[in-house]
Amino acid sequence: MRRLLIVEDSASTRALVRTIVEDEAFAQELGGGFEVTEAASGFDAMRLLPRGPYDVIITDINMGDINGLELIKFVRNSDRHRTTPLIIISTQSTERDIERALSLGADAFLPKPFSPESLRKAISAQLTHARG
Amino acid sequence: MPEGSGGGRGDASVDKAREDFLSEAQELVDGLSRDLLLLDQQARGGAGDPELVNDVFRAIHTLKGLAGLFGAVRMAAVSHELEELLDDLRLGRVELTVKVVDTLFAGVELYGLLLLSEKGQAPEPARAVEEFMAALATLTHRGSEGGEGPLPQYEIDSSILGVLTEYEEHRLRTNMKAGVSLFRIQVRLALTTIDTVLDDIKAAAKPHGEIITYLPSGTGADAEHIDLEILMASHSRLDVLQGVFRALDVTVEPVKRRASGEPAAIPAEPSPAPDADETGATPWPPEVSTPPEEALGPARSTGLTQPPVAEAPAPVAAPEARAALGAPNREQDVSLRSVSQTVRVDIRKLDNLMNVVGELAMVRASLGRMTERVRAEPQLRAWGSELHRLQRAFERHLTQMQNGILEVRMVPLGQVFEKLARVVRQISRENDKEVNLVITGAETEIDKLIVEELSDPLMHMIRNAIDHGVESREERILVGKPSAGTVALNAFQKGNHVLIEVEDDGRGMRPDLLIETAIRRGLLKRGETEELSTREIYNLVFLPGFTTKESASNLSGRGVGMDVVKTNIGKLGGVVDITSAVGIGTKITVTLPITLAIISVLGVEVEGRSFAVPLASVEEAITLDERLVRNFDGREALTQRGATLPICRLARLFGLEPLPVPEGQPQKPVKPCVVIASVGSRRLGFVVDRLVGQQDVVIKALGKSLKSVRGFAGATELGDQRVGLVIDVAALIDEVMSTEKERLGVAEGGLAR
Amino acid sequence: MNTLARKKHDRAAVRRAADIGKRVEYVSFALAGETYAVPIARIAEILKPLPITPVPRAPRVIIGVMTVRGRLVTVIDLRRRLRLPEAPVDHRTRILITDAGDERIGLLVDEVQHVHRLAESEIEPRDVLGGDPEPYLAGIGRPEGAVLTLLDLRPILEQ
Repeated sequence: MRRLLIVEDSASTRALVRTIVEDEAFAQELGGGFEVTEAASGFDAMRLLPRGPYDVIITDINMGDINGLELIKFVRNSDRHRTTPLIIISTQSTERDIERALSLGADAFLPKPFSPESLRKAISAQLTHARG
Repeated sequence: MPEGSGGGRGDASVDKAREDFLSEAQELVDGLSRDLLLLDQQARGGAGDPELVNDVFRAIHTLKGLAGLFGAVRMAAVSHELEELLDDLRLGRVELTVKVVDTLFAGVELYGLLLLSEKGQAPEPARAVEEFMAALATLTHRGSEGGEGPLPQYEIDSSILGVLTEYEEHRLRTNMKAGVSLFRIQVRLALTTIDTVLDDIKAAAKPHGEIITYLPSGTGADAEHIDLEILMASHSRLDVLQGVFRALDVTVEPVKRRASGEPAAIPAEPSPAPDADETGATPWPPEVSTPPEEALGPARSTGLTQPPVAEAPAPVAAPEARAALGAPNREQDVSLRSVSQTVRVDIRKLDNLMNVVGELAMVRASLGRMTERVRAEPQLRAWGSELHRLQRAFERHLTQMQNGILEVRMVPLGQVFEKLARVVRQISRENDKEVNLVITGAETEIDKLIVEELSDPLMHMIRNAIDHGVESREERILVGKPSAGTVALNAFQKGNHVLIEVEDDGRGMRPDLLIETAIRRGLLKRGETEELSTREIYNLVFLPGFTTKESASNLSGRGVGMDVVKTNIGKLGGVVDITSAVGIGTKITVTLPITLAIISVLGVEVEGRSFAVPLASVEEAITLDERLVRNFDGREALTQRGATLPICRLARLFGLEPLPVPEGQPQKPVKPCVVIASVGSRRLGFVVDRLVGQQDVVIKALGKSLKSVRGFAGATELGDQRVGLVIDVAALIDEVMSTEKERLGVAEGGLAR
Repeated sequence: MNTLARKKHDRAAVRRAADIGKRVEYVSFALAGETYAVPIARIAEILKPLPITPVPRAPRVIIGVMTVRGRLVTVIDLRRRLRLPEAPVDHRTRILITDAGDERIGLLVDEVQHVHRLAESEIEPRDVLGGDPEPYLAGIGRPEGAVLTLLDLRPILEQ
């Protein structure tokens, strides 16, 4: 069982990601399902990170207080999650922010709106890459 | 093909998330509406609160994301354009003008239509979307960023700058351009208490400036704590800030200004990730074992030297905007912006719960009786006491539950007032008048069922106030009033009632014109007018068929009559009253019961039948001295406290025959009393046989088949399955005291309809 | 039983079985000496009379209101409604509770009798009576050995 952390301030987006990730066929494809942990803000993520390690982290950029960029930096700075696959979901109006996120150590970004397939593909690609 | 719904593979479960989406989207739109109202005040007052603009931006950004995920294509497109406008606004590329705010309001309306269409309750508003997008296009500024030069003055490490989002950077620049000082606040937070401590910090910081960003430091290895560095721009002095934060166990330090001549540009490329080659301007903290302080860059200052305090006015307008509106704004801010954790509840479920509580009450009563019997048995005394204790506890908790359920039904009037605020803007624009809306008492609570029914009547009253009451700018200036009219919405609780006042400072109503109109519409005959009191003249507007002007509103095609308002308020168990002064203004007062569910009543007996009179309408009760009753041409009255009090014998009114007394039972002593009830300024004494006592009762509505029966507001359970009828004081006063003309007016109105 | 008789018997049995599937249940009650019936699906409850509070100035048809498990029930005197002669309440009087929209209505009857399962063949339409029957007359029911006046509740409850 792998663990996934989603950091996103919209409740229904979190629920959607959970639904996409908790799909049976997806679990079969990856040789194991996901246990999804939800964080509604950067601070929530802070609280939940020590309870890791997580195998995948998905985060938005534009959140209040601790924004996604700061979270990425924090995550990359930590023992546990320095090399954890980190996927950003975000929009296009902050192109510079996305560049920064990638430079700060995120592995991939998915612009919103994303289809369930593309999220699954991105997760699967990151996990394969990490293994490989 | 909507992006959100991918094919195959268990994506049917995605549709379930759609319900969440619609619910969340609605809440976001509601929040948007509240924020826009605040923004509107601020725009008129001069400065917009950047935090508010950012909140609006983020709400639209979230809506856009949601819409895209769930296949609401039109909503996504609209949100995309709106988001660009908001981005321009928050980055300072577009100015916050009234026109911009108007467009944003139009956006909220459009969202409403789009959501209805998504729920399948309305067709897709294609035209409206097109028009809106066209309007937006004239506003968005698609120029380049220009003018965002380097941040030369402060010693902020580039690794910090590298994690600021574009927006945060903009806020930083704005503050620096205004010469505001920067401070670093370091705090170590226990993860268990992080929310409350953060709230305290934010609250403490807000009056002194703006928090730019929160930077977590450290390695995340400590599972109990997190170190935060908060970058704040403040116009207050260092010692003041230190004082403010002292209680919160944080350290505050100024960020030093660089000596001039030392350039420190923002890195064009952010520093690369640790495992890449270090070609960037500043190396990343390479080792995890680096102590937290250094993670933020080498140039951290520890000195207490203050940078020269900028005297420039803070660029951030305080959220308690002192706009043109006058005092109660702080309250309005709090009530408009409080986003409560709510649960949507079907009110029928609450009614069912109340019924269950009622049943439990009967069980408790039976238990009570049984307990008494047990206690009476000497051998069972110990058991009896225990049972008694338990039974009392049961009763206590039952009452708590009953009160709890009632509280759930209560919602603050602010809900309705917010909607009305939007209406005021719209109507003022339509009439080309300037109107300020002042609201007090938005936190006053009332039963949810009543609130739902209130917005229409209140809207009509406000429309009338603005259409006919408030004069045009020129007229007002001519008579020495401020050019902007004021409409006040006041709500407050008085005993078991809630009063809502709609007041304007317009031209008031002229009694002579009112009489003329009534005569013209056949509601009055010339020659009958001398007997009318001023109050009765003002209340002529409530007669059906009275409306003085055709109000062609685009909200409702029909003309709006105050008689409809009066009827609707009446259905809620309330009354409307109106007073006016020529040249000064008009005030309409709506009196409503707090809850349809429980009321305090005075129990009375008439010819052996039990009735209940709502205490809210009762002034007092006195014993009846038949010798003091005078007969004025068929109508009976008393002299009470020096004034004439008309009386009504309920036994006669209700046609109640004396009940046969069962054999052997003595006749109950009759102590006739007069229950003096009042509604508005009308008083009537009801003659009853006995007063039984006061109690709180659950009132239930009478069924449709009894709608034609006048005089009863409902029925209540009196214990051992008997029912007491609750008297509708207003209806009876109306019936007994309305003049022939009023009765005729009602009759005619009925026919006309 | 010989083969032919058996076949006839079987066929009749099949017909009866098919018939039974299509039957509607009616509850019959007495009013002023006559027997009436209504579909039992419309009846929520059957009660012995509880204290009824008269409502002053209400139409005569309405005896008053009573409360059943926390809910208010408007009680109608079915005799008065059907313009039948009146009679005093006795120990056999019952109240049939039915729902009319948001309102609960109780119908006061002299006595509740049986539940009959009427097949279509056992119901005669109202026009067999000729003339202009009242809207609340739904038809005549003829289960074995009994004659029932079938009532349509809707016009009775709408006043």
